[in-house]
Amino acid sequence: MIRLQFYGLLRLMLSGKESLELPWHEGDTVGLLLEKFQAVEKIPVTGKLIDEHGTLHAGTIILLNRRNILHLKKLDTQVNDGDVLALFPPGAGG
Amino acid sequence: MIVHDNGVRFSRQLLVWGDEKQNRIAESTLLVAGLGGLGATVSQILARSGVAALHLVDEGTVALSDLHRQSLYGECDIGRKKVLVAEERLKAINANVRIFVHDARIDQKFCIAAEVDLVVDCLDNYNSRFDLYHAVRTGQFFVHGGVQASQGQVLTLVKGESQPLDEIFAGCLQPKGPIPVTPDSVFIIAGLMSNEILQTIFGEPKLLNRFLVIDLVNLSLTFLEV
Repeated sequence: MIRLQFYGLLRLMLSGKESLELPWHEGDTVGLLLEKFQAVEKIPVTGKLIDEHGTLHAGTIILLNRRNILHLKKLDTQVNDGDVLALFPPGAGG
Repeated sequence: MIVHDNGVRFSRQLLVWGDEKQNRIAESTLLVAGLGGLGATVSQILARSGVAALHLVDEGTVALSDLHRQSLYGECDIGRKKVLVAEERLKAINANVRIFVHDARIDQKFCIAAEVDLVVDCLDNYNSRFDLYHAVRTGQFFVHGGVQASQGQVLTLVKGESQPLDEIFAGCLQPKGPIPVTPDSVFIIAGLMSNEILQTIFGEPKLLNRFLVIDLVNLSLTFLEV
């Protein structure tokens, strides 16, 4: 299983949902997982994270096992059984 | 002189922290970058707590739109440099704290004075936050805070041991236009930042390599490891 964790304003968008688990399949990537999540929850979350060109929106940090996926292979980053994917839109102001 | 009688001044907090922790506070020099909502309240709490010295960095002037959340300033300060008003107010609160003002924008050339023990990020834009982190010396503690709408986060890093700030926040761009923010969220998050700063001074940081994510709509506090 893969655990998806949601933080901050993103959690509000998802009706307060803190986390959920999705079954893992060989070849799963971060991008595929987000699409699966959208299909399961019927919440258009990928539109908030990815633009029509498949590029990540600035504003939400996506961490796979504590590492920002921009330092891995972005949406093509491979996920493994037991991984934790955290989505966190940080507060920008001071 | 009552104002210099620290036994009286700190009598209530000494009941909680005791002499050893109070001495650690009294020996600490901190740099507070950004004197907006978070920085104004954080620097005030640190001065009230009895730190040795504060280096304050900001290039801004006080505006009417700051007054709802920036606790060091009033209507009479509009148009004045924040660092100078902050210095006056903090000195009025605790004249024993040495204040060093830096009327400057933090960029790639920014340097942190050697005497600074701990760096506090209360900035309002990612470029300056990343430049500030680059100026931090290896092994130095760095406490980050951010706020937006009714949420925010606090995180402690150690330069050279933790993931760098710009790697954690990679891809985050500054939102266009003014950032929505309320006074209550700023005060709460500044309070939590101050708590973490003091815990770090005591040698007991609670948020080292983990975000505390504060959601004031649902009144929830959650951790996110990094």
